[in-house]
Amino acid sequence: MTLRVSVAAPQNIGAVPLGTRRIAALTGGDFEGPRLRGVVLPAASADWLLLRSDGVLELDLRATLLTHDGARISLTSFGLRHGPADVMAALGRGEPVDPARYYFRTTPRFQTGHPAYAFLNRLIAVASGDRRAEGPVYTIDEVL
Amino acid sequence: MRLRLMTAPIEDIGPVPHGPLTIFPVVGGTFDGERLRGKVLPGGGDWVTARPDGTFELDLRVTLETDDGALIYMTFTGVRDDANHYFRTLPRFETASPTYDFLNRLLAVGIGEILPDGPVHSIEELL
Repeated sequence: MTLRVSVAAPQNIGAVPLGTRRIAALTGGDFEGPRLRGVVLPAASADWLLLRSDGVLELDLRATLLTHDGARISLTSFGLRHGPADVMAALGRGEPVDPARYYFRTTPRFQTGHPAYAFLNRLIAVASGDRRAEGPVYTIDEVL
Repeated sequence: MRLRLMTAPIEDIGPVPHGPLTIFPVVGGTFDGERLRGKVLPGGGDWVTARPDGTFELDLRVTLETDDGALIYMTFTGVRDDANHYFRTLPRFETASPTYDFLNRLLAVGIGEILPDGPVHSIEELL
């Protein structure tokens, strides 16, 4: 499925012991795929970003998804983003960048109590990200 | 310090494999202590799992903004056992502010209580 999220201006925590911490609250979003579609509930959804001293950005996302038929799904995903300095600088300026020019991968996990979506509790998924100026777009696929 | 959290309506995820999961979005709040005071920024939450033994497993993350403009990322795990009036947490802090660097180097314990206008946590450094 494709997950699009919009993010608020980041809360810059700054240089913490493990790196540089930034928190990007989600302001909304939607997702659509063959088996589920719906919207992101932003109240408790954010990405806790940590820029490590080796230049790699660790992503630690939590989002609540609401399907079109009313099921709530808790999504958590750990990810990594890095690339050549000029490419990352262009991304930082909000310029459009071909996502093939940098590495942006995450590993989503799902939890739900809704029987129609219980299959999500039992699967491992991988995602490729595309950091657009308006917010990241994730292509998420089950690991078969 | 005392941390008061304002929560939005819960997001009931339902019975997931580890037990029923409920998310309490944190939309604001305040904290006040000898060494730091300020407000809680929206965007955090507490991911609460109901365990089969009747207790709740807590997993919170929030951003604190001090009255002098420093941002502090706070997380805690904890346990709430309403039957025994037990509500204890283990907060951790991350900040880049030199003024509050001591928070990066300490462990803390919290005692929580649910008041009519939201949860309140009394948090003390583990000395």
